Amino acid sequence: MDTLARIKDLAAKEFSIDPDGLDPKAPLDTLGIDSLSFIEFMFKIEEEFGVSVSDENLKAIKTLADLERHVVVSLAAAGRA
Amino acid sequence: MGVRRVAITGAGVVSPLGASLQEFHQALAEARSGIRRLPQEIAQGSGVQVGALVDWNPAPALTAAEAANIDRVSQFALAAAAEALASSGLDLASADRTRIGVYWGTGMGGAHTLEASYKHVYGAGEWRTRPLTVVMAMNNAAGSNVAVRHALGGPFANFSTACSSSAMALGEAMRTIAAGRADAIVAGGSEALLTPASLLAWQALRTLAPADPEDPAASCKPFDKRRLGLVLGEGGAALVLEDEAHARARGARIHGFLTGYGNSCDAVHMSRPDRGGQMRAMREALDESGLAPADIGYVNAHATATAVGDVIEAQAINAVFGAAAAEVRVSSTKSLHGHLLGAAGALEFAAALLALEEGLVPPTAFLEQPDPAFELRHVALKAERIAPPRAVMSNSFGFGGSNVVLVASRA
Repeated sequence: MDTLARIKDLAAKEFSIDPDGLDPKAPLDTLGIDSLSFIEFMFKIEEEFGVSVSDENLKAIKTLADLERHVVVSLAAAGRA
Repeated sequence: MGVRRVAITGAGVVSPLGASLQEFHQALAEARSGIRRLPQEIAQGSGVQVGALVDWNPAPALTAAEAANIDRVSQFALAAAAEALASSGLDLASADRTRIGVYWGTGMGGAHTLEASYKHVYGAGEWRTRPLTVVMAMNNAAGSNVAVRHALGGPFANFSTACSSSAMALGEAMRTIAAGRADAIVAGGSEALLTPASLLAWQALRTLAPADPEDPAASCKPFDKRRLGLVLGEGGAALVLEDEAHARARGARIHGFLTGYGNSCDAVHMSRPDRGGQMRAMREALDESGLAPADIGYVNAHATATAVGDVIEAQAINAVFGAAAAEVRVSSTKSLHGHLLGAAGALEFAAALLALEEGLVPPTAFLEQPDPAFELRHVALKAERIAPPRAVMSNSFGFGGSNVVLVASRA
């Protein structure tokens, strides 16, 4: 499974939404994901991929596609991609 | 300031005897115990042998995703409150929800969340904890979840006075409604502390009963000379308390009235109960309700089955009731559902409603050998049918010396 598919799968579980209906480019708040829920979700993303997202980078993540880019970059930096 | 009467218009229960008021009352009527041997994954190295677990499935009330982000103590709160609100018939869609509040009680709050966090940090040595830890574990989370779920924007309060927490929530809710500051309040409490480390802490206090060697379900024996201590339980209970005029205007079914609330502190010791403090609370509740001891048909005793506690309470009841003590039925339903700590007061108040409404007095189960050190009119072994009494009393006495006594009167 590619990174985006894994992220979508986790998001679907966390927020009880259909993964097929998830638009990776949609702003997260339009998916009904508030800031607290997002922070909790990010914790699970970090656990799943073994990466760490800084507060600074976190602020720049507005969509699942943004999130995917950060995960891919982090994995590459760690030499695991 | 005119004082309004406070009606009881709804009730909901999540208990070791079933996850509804009806199942709870049914088990009390049949004297069916919810106490059993604790599974190893819960007891672990605590040494605690028995407990009263809720056979709990968050579905269908909560999705799996919701349940993963809401502590068990709040899940019990949500379920009990939802049942109470549904049974009240309150139409929340058309109600002014800024006039409806939530008053809740819990001793340990989100114990499961906190323990999971510590286990991660100190156990696994990983200095990471989930971001929801704070809002899941905080003591007011259970009540706040109820308020958020139903958008109840009226007065909110959370009480944490150990074993009197939820009884205090009911009493203070009554005062708030009587003062005209809310039309209705969802009042109750929940507790979910059956975690290995919490159990260990209780075991260290040396107040827990071991498993009865022949029948683990019979391990808690209040008022019996063979009593060996309390059995911890979990669950929640909620009542809808409502301004009488508000309830009548919408044609609500009224189960009774909360008419008396006594609150005192022993102020003598952190854990040893005091007869004087308990008497003050019982007298205050009687005075407020305008009733004489002889009007009380049933007392749901706090009696946890400890050596000292049951004696002190029996003495306090005798001192307050005087000659009427020979008539008033007394039982401790903890013999069946265990001690729900912060949720005990609301749950046992719900138990007392069975006597108030139907004249069916729930028993002290397994009371085969009443302690001769004190006299009470026990309802032993099985439920007793009496003429519905004018009023009932429920006692809740917590560590720290916090005493709460509630009196409910017939509708």
